[in-house]
Amino acid sequence: MNAFIKHSLILLGALSLCTSATAAEGQLKLPEFGGLADKASEVVTITLDPALLGLAARFLDPAKPEDAAVREAIVGIKGIYVRSYKFDEDFAYPRADVDSVRKQLTAPGWQRLVEVRSRKQQQNVDIYILVEQERANGLAIIASQPREFTIVNIVGSIDMRKLHELEGQFGIPKLELEQKNEKNEQKK
Amino acid sequence: MSKDFEQQLRDVLRPVEPEEGFEQRVMARIAGERSRARSKVTRWVSVALAASAAFAAILGTHEWQVRREEQGLEARKQLIEALRLTGEKLDVAYQAVNRESSPPTDVDGSGA
Amino acid sequence: MKASDTWPADELLIRARAGEASAFAGLVRRYQRTVYSIALRMLNDRHRAEDLAQEVFLQLYRALDDVESDTHLAFWLRKVAVNRAIDRMRQESRHDNEPLTEAAAISGEVLEDDPLLRRRMAELLAQLPPAARAVVVLRYQEDLDPVDIAGTLDMPINTVKSHLKRSLTLLRARMQGTAIVEDIR
Repeated sequence: MNAFIKHSLILLGALSLCTSATAAEGQLKLPEFGGLADKASEVVTITLDPALLGLAARFLDPAKPEDAAVREAIVGIKGIYVRSYKFDEDFAYPRADVDSVRKQLTAPGWQRLVEVRSRKQQQNVDIYILVEQERANGLAIIASQPREFTIVNIVGSIDMRKLHELEGQFGIPKLELEQKNEKNEQKK
Repeated sequence: MSKDFEQQLRDVLRPVEPEEGFEQRVMARIAGERSRARSKVTRWVSVALAASAAFAAILGTHEWQVRREEQGLEARKQLIEALRLTGEKLDVAYQAVNRESSPPTDVDGSGA
Repeated sequence: MKASDTWPADELLIRARAGEASAFAGLVRRYQRTVYSIALRMLNDRHRAEDLAQEVFLQLYRALDDVESDTHLAFWLRKVAVNRAIDRMRQESRHDNEPLTEAAAISGEVLEDDPLLRRRMAELLAQLPPAARAVVVLRYQEDLDPVDIAGTLDMPINTVKSHLKRSLTLLRARMQGTAIVEDIR
C-alpha cells in the first residue's frame, strides 16, 4: 500500500499535459456553507475560473522566482476553487456539508490517491484525482481537523510535484505538524 | 539550371506575409462573431470582471486600466494563496508517505 | 514588438483559452505567415487567400479547447488551411491555368538570378490539381515529411509519395521544355 501511494504520487508528478473538452469536467459542486462565515475566525474563499486564472497569470512577474514557480505549476490548470474555514471551537462546521463533497468523489473517474488519518493531530487529509484516459484531469483535497476544514478543487492537468514544491516558495513557516514534532523533540 | 530543382521549388514556395493589418482584421471578425453569439448564449462572468466592463463605460479608459490592474493583482494574490494552501495539504500526504517509507529505527543496534 | 511576442506558444495557447484577446492575437501573428502562404499557394489569389486565412483563425478561435499544445496547433492550422483550400477549389473548380501576373505575384519574395524560370515554375504549380498541389506545398513550403503530409491530408502515405513523384516529374518536364525554348531564343 505504501509503495502504491508513493508510486502514485511520483507518477502523478510525471503525468503529461492534458486538456478536458469543457472546464466543468473535474469541477466539483461546492456547498455554499451559508452562515459559516459568521461563526468562523478565518475564511478563505477562492474561485478562479479560466478567465480569472488567465488574468492572474498576466500579473505574475517571470523575473520573481516565486511567480515563475507559480506560472510553471499552473500550466494546464483551468480552474482553482478553495473553501477554507477556521473556527475557535471544535466541530463548529457541518460535517454533512464536507461529506457531500466526498460523495461527489465516488463518481466514475475519481480515485482516492491518499488517505491520511492522524489520530494525534486529529487531522484527516484525503486526496483524489480524476483520471480519464490515463490522464489526471482534476484534483480534490479534503482536509479536516476539529477546528478547520479545507476543500481544494483543481480542474485541468495537474503536476502535483510542482504544486507541492511551491510551499517552500512563499516564505511561510513550516507546517504545524512539523513544528509540533520539533517541540516534542525539544521537550524530550 | 544551376540549382537543384527541389531547392528551386522551395525558393518559389517561400512563405509570405499577408497584407498589413491582417491580425487586426482577424480580431475584428472575431469581435463581430462574439457580439452576435452573446445575444444567443448567456455566459457567466465573475462579478469582478462584469464590474470592470461597467467601469470602462463610466470611468473611461484610464480608470478602467487602473481597475483592471487592481483586479489582476487581487487575482494573483488569490492564486498564490490557493496554491499555498494546496501545497500545505499535499505536504501532509507526502510527509505521511515518507514516514511510512522510512526504514524502522533500530533501537538496540543489534541489527535484528 | 508586443510583449506577447516573447511568450512561448504554449503560454499563448493557455492564455488564449482563458479568454485573453492579446494572447490570441499573438497566435495570429505567430502563424499568419504559414496559414496565409498555404492559402495563397493553393488558391493563387491574394484576396481569396486572405479570406480563407481569416476563416482558419476564426475556426481556431472557436476550437481552442480542442488544441492540446503548440505542436498540435501547427498541425491543426496546416490541416484546416489546406483542407479548406482544397474544398474551396473543388467547389469552384478553379485549378486550371491562372493568369500569368497572379502566378508571378506569388512566386516568392526574393527573385534570384532567373526570374523568368521562377515565374514559370509558379505558374506550373498553379496548374496542379488540388490534392497534388497540397502535397507539393506541404513538402516544399512547410518542409513536412511524407508521413506528416499523410496525417495532415488524411491520405495514405503511398498516395502522398505518388503525388510527389508525379508532380515533380511533371513540373521538371514542363520546366525543361521552357528552358529549351529559352535557349533557342
